[in-house]
Amino acid sequence: MSILLALLLLLAAVTGTGIVLVREPRRQVFAIAVNGLVLTLLFLALQAPDVALSELAVGTVVVPLLFLVAIASVRTSRAGEDA
Amino acid sequence: MSLRLRLILLALSALVLVPGFGSVIGHIPGFGSEIPAYGELINRIGPAERQVANMVSAINFDIRGLDTLGEEFMLLAAIAGTVVLLRGQRGTDTADTAIRLPGRPLVPRAEAVTLVCRIFGPLIAVFGLYIVLHATVTPGGGFQGGVILASGTMLIYLGEGYAGWRRSVLSGWLDAMEGGGALVFTLCGLGPMLVGAAFMENLLPLGIYKDMLSGGLILIENLGVALAVTGGFTQLFLEFMEETREPAAGEDTPSE
Repeated sequence: MSILLALLLLLAAVTGTGIVLVREPRRQVFAIAVNGLVLTLLFLALQAPDVALSELAVGTVVVPLLFLVAIASVRTSRAGEDA
Repeated sequence: MSLRLRLILLALSALVLVPGFGSVIGHIPGFGSEIPAYGELINRIGPAERQVANMVSAINFDIRGLDTLGEEFMLLAAIAGTVVLLRGQRGTDTADTAIRLPGRPLVPRAEAVTLVCRIFGPLIAVFGLYIVLHATVTPGGGFQGGVILASGTMLIYLGEGYAGWRRSVLSGWLDAMEGGGALVFTLCGLGPMLVGAAFMENLLPLGIYKDMLSGGLILIENLGVALAVTGGFTQLFLEFMEETREPAAGEDTPSE
């Protein structure tokens, strides 16, 4: 295992733990995106470019976007009820 | 269940599971040590019998094409379910305004954002099409290209705003693309049966190895998947973005 792979695996573990430790939902979305980016690089280093492309598109664009929209929708409707 | 009880349960189950877990870890092959037999077989028959350079496409669309057809319908069902759950009056009018937290300032869109989106939007669309068309040659394919194309449409929202985005991305077209893509894939499976071949048998001319138009039926299946994924994911974005609009007057907001 090369140093690059070891480093990327370590980064994946660190960013994955980061998602759990960040408790604020909006920041958590960006933590997920960062983890997705690290996983993309890891898959690329493991010579799986097809999986890397899927991960890049789904993990760093689609999933964070849908989460952000869901969070925005929940927050604003709650604020409206309070008012 | 008290914390103490949980810890005891954890310790007990660890006692049972850890030895097995340890022995499995001890027996897994070394990292990247050997290529399994199946991989070698695929590497041999992919170029020889299908003229395909991207083995992942050869597996997904030809050797295990039936599995991908199943996934295709899984995607269709998942997106249809989301649309049924989220469809409502809210956000269907292009002039609907965004809901916002009271007291938060409304920042106008900078011209630079519009410019960047107008430059990169078409580039991303071209890149997505490139990924779709070169499925049998380079990494990627219908799914990856489709997701890239779908996320490219979000740049229209970012650059032109909700109204402009809704005017250019039409829901009816997306439905047709999604269903039509799945239909193309299904017909690719049933078509060969008309001439007496097996389901999804690759009867089309295979082309030249490493050429864009290689792989025969794989290319058409791939276009079907690209259509379905582009339509499906854009539809997903559309339904979710509608939820960020101000609810229409008189519409019941769900109480949860």
